[in-house]
Amino acid sequence: MTLLANITEEHRGQLAIARLNGEIDASNVNWIESRLRALLTNQSDGLTVDLSHTSYIDSAGIALMFSLAATLRQHRQELRLVVVDGSPIARMVTLTGLDRSVPIHPTLEAAVAEASVAE
Amino acid sequence: MKRVDWGLLEALQRVTDAGLASLSEQELLQELLQRISEILDVDTVAILLLEGDALHARAAKGIEEEVEQGVRIPVGLGFAGRIAAERRAITITDVDHADILNPILREKGIRSLLGVPLLVQNRVIGVLHVGSLTPREFSADDRDLLQLAADRAALAIEQTRVYEQRRVAEALQRELLPARIAEGLGVDVAARYLPASAGGLGGDWYDVFPVPDGRVAVVVGDVVGHGVAAAAVMAQLRTALRAYAADGHPPGAVVDRVNGLMWQLGPLAMTTLVYLVLDPAKESLELVSAGHPPALVVSPTGAAAYLASQGGIALGATQTATYRSETFPLPTGATVFVYTDGLVERRGESIDLGLERLRVLAEGFSDVDSLCSSVLENMITDGPADDVAFIAARVPPLADHLTTRWPATPASLATIRHLLRRWLVSRGATDDEAYDIVVACQEACANAVEHAYDSHAAEFEVEALHADGGVTLTVRDRGRWRPPRGQNRGRGIPMMRALVDTVDVRQTPDGTAVVLERNLGKTAA
Repeated sequence: MTLLANITEEHRGQLAIARLNGEIDASNVNWIESRLRALLTNQSDGLTVDLSHTSYIDSAGIALMFSLAATLRQHRQELRLVVVDGSPIARMVTLTGLDRSVPIHPTLEAAVAEASVAE
Repeated sequence: MKRVDWGLLEALQRVTDAGLASLSEQELLQELLQRISEILDVDTVAILLLEGDALHARAAKGIEEEVEQGVRIPVGLGFAGRIAAERRAITITDVDHADILNPILREKGIRSLLGVPLLVQNRVIGVLHVGSLTPREFSADDRDLLQLAADRAALAIEQTRVYEQRRVAEALQRELLPARIAEGLGVDVAARYLPASAGGLGGDWYDVFPVPDGRVAVVVGDVVGHGVAAAAVMAQLRTALRAYAADGHPPGAVVDRVNGLMWQLGPLAMTTLVYLVLDPAKESLELVSAGHPPALVVSPTGAAAYLASQGGIALGATQTATYRSETFPLPTGATVFVYTDGLVERRGESIDLGLERLRVLAEGFSDVDSLCSSVLENMITDGPADDVAFIAARVPPLADHLTTRWPATPASLATIRHLLRRWLVSRGATDDEAYDIVVACQEACANAVEHAYDSHAAEFEVEALHADGGVTLTVRDRGRWRPPRGQNRGRGIPMMRALVDTVDVRQTPDGTAVVLERNLGKTAA
């Protein structure tokens, strides 16, 4: 289901970046998962998912982020999320404890800078 | 000399009449062969039809091999080819001493032949010939009779072909226009398409589809011209527009890209279109017009007025055209109506008269289907010279008590949450409250959708009630409650409990009801 959301992909060095614009729910979560997983290679240092322009995420979307983070950790890679402070998404991220499991950054630039330092 | 059997000729007449309506081309040809062989008392009959510059054997009796072997005779050569080239009857009394191209005629032992052209409005569409296994002198009467039969046959063949073409054309057009448009969009939609009275394909289309954030896209377009070419352009543009919209481009950029694509595809027919994006939450619409007649809005009180849009030029006019969207208010309860020019144009009359006729007619309507029916009935008096498409969309008002039914598919979720958010905000919920309640309700809806996989439940119901400063949402399905499973669903129940005051899962004999309650105006417990 591409009408609900679209994904812009970018690679900066070994860092994969996905900007997720639109809404994530049960109707498109599998599509989003396959797109995000396809971005990763053995050479990747990690994946940053930019949720700045994501207007809705349900429990299926949150669960996807947990499961992506677990997969990346197994490969010694890191998932970072960009979530705007005070946005409705931020509330869901806190409520579900996702912010205690995955590094959250207020802007994409902050996330990229942090990823470079971690490397 | 054999006497003409007028009874048999009458029988032929009946066949050709029937062919106009019901018989397929192949059935018709077989019937014709049978009748003609009886009328002329001959051993063989064959019908060859012109395709390109050759005659193709399409039906035969007594010499079925002609068809089975796919015999093709170039126009101008041999017996049948000469009939087509010279557009006249040819008689061959002794096959042994004649210029015959087709070896099957000799192999079958045919002694004499008579053939006539199949003519429609002086145009050759094929050849009909009969043969005799014994030497026979075909008379002038035989020839006239065969030509008479051929004339009837040609007309029937042609009309059957036109009928089949039209049937295919209309089926194609139906496939290209959305059939079930009103479901699951959160807005009321009705549309009509009327082919030109002359029949065949047209280039008009309408479309409606959801775009992100609970908005709904509505399109009406008009490719200038008729026939397969116009319909093919229409199909391409319709798909391209949907694809660009799905990529998330804003409305102006979508139309820019469609225009750009037209230039890449090569010389295409000029096209006008209007592309609307309705936003029920913001009570507004974005409009991009490419040389299209103005959109009409019927207000919640019934007053009808055209939107004063600046508009851009028609698609395909210049490669460098850019299109900007304009925003207009679309209050809850208002209807927007867009159409192709065939609706308001009449020969020898200013288009302003047609526009005013439409505006006056639309006043007072709130039901979109009644509006479309009335427009169809009153605006199109004779058969339309041009094809006509129009579509009406209305953002329905939301009451304190809302009951909605939804197909149990994941695609319903987005529409439900946008409808619910709009309802909550209109009942005084803050943005944060609305968000929390919508998320909680969505989790219950997602469960209902999952239940549908293992039961007969194809629908579920969402009821929303606002009373005493709080809201109660009930999600009912006909499935049996099951703990959520799968790695993507396990967090639903804790989330629901965190977001609303009470969560109650009730088993009923009919299925499961999840009842969520939340007070407005204070933080969740």
